Amino acid sequence: MASTQYGIKYAVHIITAHFGNLVAKVCETLLRRGPLTLRLLIRFTELSSSQINNSLLILIQHNCVQAFTAVTEGEFGDAPKADTQYLALFSNILHRMRFSKFLAIASEKLEKDKDCEELLEGLLQNGRLSMEQIIERAKSSKHAGNRPIPDVVNESLLKLLNAHFVERCPAPEPTLSPQVEEQPPPRKRGAKAAKVSEVPPTLEQRLVESARPMEVIRFSIGETNTEAEESEHYSSISGQKRKRGDLDMIQESGDADGIILWRANFDEFIRCLRHKACIEHVRSQFDDGAVNVLSAILEATRSSEKIVKTEITVPLSLENIYEEVMKNEVGRSMTLDRVEASLSALGCSGMEDYKINLQKIIEQAQIDEVESIVLKRYGRDAYRMFRFLSKTGGLVETEKISDSAFVDKNEAPKILYRLWKDEYLYMEKVAITVPRYSLCLLWRVDRYNLWEHVLDEMYHASLNLQLRQAYEMEQDKELLNLPPDKRGGPLEKRYNRLRNVRILLESSLLKLDDALMLFHDF
Amino acid sequence: MSRSQGPSSLKRKRPEPAHGHGGALIEHEKVLYDLICSKQSMGIWIGDMKRETKYPDNVVTKSLKALQARGLIKLVEHYQNKGKKFYLSKDFEPSKELTGGNWYSDGKLDREYISTLKGFCARMIQKMKVATIEGIVDAFKKSGASKVDLSREQIEEIVNALVLDNEVMEVKSTGAGEFDFIPVGKICYKSYAKGVKGEPKTGAMASTPCGVCPRINHCTPNGIISPRTCVYYTKWLEF
Ligand code: SF4
Repeated sequence: MASTQYGIKYAVHIITAHFGNLVAKVCETLLRRGPLTLRLLIRFTELSSSQINNSLLILIQHNCVQAFTAVTEGEFGDAPKADTQYLALFSNILHRMRFSKFLAIASEKLEKDKDCEELLEGLLQNGRLSMEQIIERAKSSKHAGNRPIPDVVNESLLKLLNAHFVERCPAPEPTLSPQVEEQPPPRKRGAKAAKVSEVPPTLEQRLVESARPMEVIRFSIGETNTEAEESEHYSSISGQKRKRGDLDMIQESGDADGIILWRANFDEFIRCLRHKACIEHVRSQFDDGAVNVLSAILEATRSSEKIVKTEITVPLSLENIYEEVMKNEVGRSMTLDRVEASLSALGCSGMEDYKINLQKIIEQAQIDEVESIVLKRYGRDAYRMFRFLSKTGGLVETEKISDSAFVDKNEAPKILYRLWKDEYLYMEKVAITVPRYSLCLLWRVDRYNLWEHVLDEMYHASLNLQLRQAYEMEQDKELLNLPPDKRGGPLEKRYNRLRNVRILLESSLLKLDDALMLFHDF
Repeated sequence: MSRSQGPSSLKRKRPEPAHGHGGALIEHEKVLYDLICSKQSMGIWIGDMKRETKYPDNVVTKSLKALQARGLIKLVEHYQNKGKKFYLSKDFEPSKELTGGNWYSDGKLDREYISTLKGFCARMIQKMKVATIEGIVDAFKKSGASKVDLSREQIEEIVNALVLDNEVMEVKSTGAGEFDFIPVGKICYKSYAKGVKGEPKTGAMASTPCGVCPRINHCTPNGIISPRTCVYYTKWLEF
């Protein structure tokens, strides 16, 4: 889904908070206008070229911008033109709000390995680091034990690479072929979500894909020497095999001295968070048995997942699943019958091997989130009508809606109108001429547009949470600077309030961010 | 559970002869009466009568008075548009379009009655674990809970409302396990497991002030309505 108006505002707010106004201005220009050359960036931002260069360096260092060579056909028989453009990576900017979640996942999966945690934290804070830099950081840390630091670092990096939590940085400047221009975002969702994979990828997706090192290299620590090998590192999906010349460009623009840069692999963390979201949703609907079974299946099929948005898990036999369930302490009390019953509750027929439709679970979680907004904001009558329309799928006239959803006919039109005005429903007017001229209103839940609207509201709400937090902290600034022993009496009360405010705002922001991922990343 | 009058909007009563109420109708009255009868349970609005017959106002008013006095026609107010009067032949009950339908009384949705029925159905489904609509109708009849006979359609409407409320689940029978003896693919109704309420737990968005805010479309970072000055926030952050 493309970034929305408030999505951009929120992203710019994040960049401003982390890197200041100048960098944010460059980033905002890229987000609003799409990929630009340095020349155009200068024109649009009216900043000096060195200011822009520095900003771009920061943004690239932190994986928020990707450079690429755009080749355009030469006009009037001229040779093809190649120029460097910069594209802001919207998703990566938002990931900056999730670093604490990423660290928690890595810590959990790597059994609290302190060295790994530190290495990963360094990468998250600095964007990209070379081996040498990582070792430098480790040396200055207090954790250094008796073993030689390079060994420790090497071991940690290997562990992180094996878990796919860290990867090699993408090619600094891949080439994109001219034929395929950016496609408009897909216009259908929901019922047609199954076809999402057939939708042509966006420019951002194509670029990320073609800059990414090939799987074998991406997670391997070994140095690569030969040029021939190097040329295979970067796969290209733009339909053209990369030519020699492009490779030179890669070499020149960063990798020239053969230094490998490492960074956190956001995809892997998002995949883990997606699994968590699926499990949480199942927990809200079914009993522990279903939760255990789903966790086991996700664990067993993880290694075969190649993309973030796996639609359906690879098929497993009942024996495989049972075995996996038994590996887990909480699952050990389950009988084979119970595992089978849980699978059937999860919608597996059991006719053949078992597979879980993860996309369906995510969709249901999205629906729950939206319905909960409708219930809280517009009330129970609206909730029932919304669910009725959601279930029906098509256009339905006012009368039929109020009849089926048991909403008073005098009230129904008013509520439907409110939902329409706030872009929660789609409405169509149809003129009827028999028996006499009148206007009939038809209503529908337009899933694709509604999801985008809800996502925009969520970005808006996230931004508001942050702005309010900044405001609250600013209001009581002097309170925060007070040493603890001076906080007695009435000040103490104010101080405690401020602490509670902060906790509430921060935890709400983290939860809202989970919902954001549900709609944007999963 | 009782209700003075059963829902029977379309039931036709025994027709009474038009004469025998003090002589034959005069010409105008006859035309108007036929017109009203032809509309059956839909009735007709006085404005439309004037348009269709092209009679002067006073003739229509006088004739209608006469017909009413003889007990041949009756007046019904439209449920949505109080004061818009419709005339019906005595032989017809007003249609759904005029009264609002089965579940309306005095032009308003009878919420209390509906919620009693809903509660009753929900309890029955919970007791039955997995229920088909036939099962629910049967149990309903046997219980004698309602003095008024509800049709299968009406009970189905109530159950569907429970589904929309997310109080019961609609599931398809798989023919096995708890669906034993129920044909595969048949729609069944089930209560949610204990402790799990069907209704979505308040989502992340709906737990923040902005998630339920009616003004979100007018709220901007530096506008008149803004998160800095927002009263909803101030209230939320009271500790
Ligand atoms: S900040 Fe306040 S006014 Fe603005 S959207 Fe949120 S709740 Fe509404």
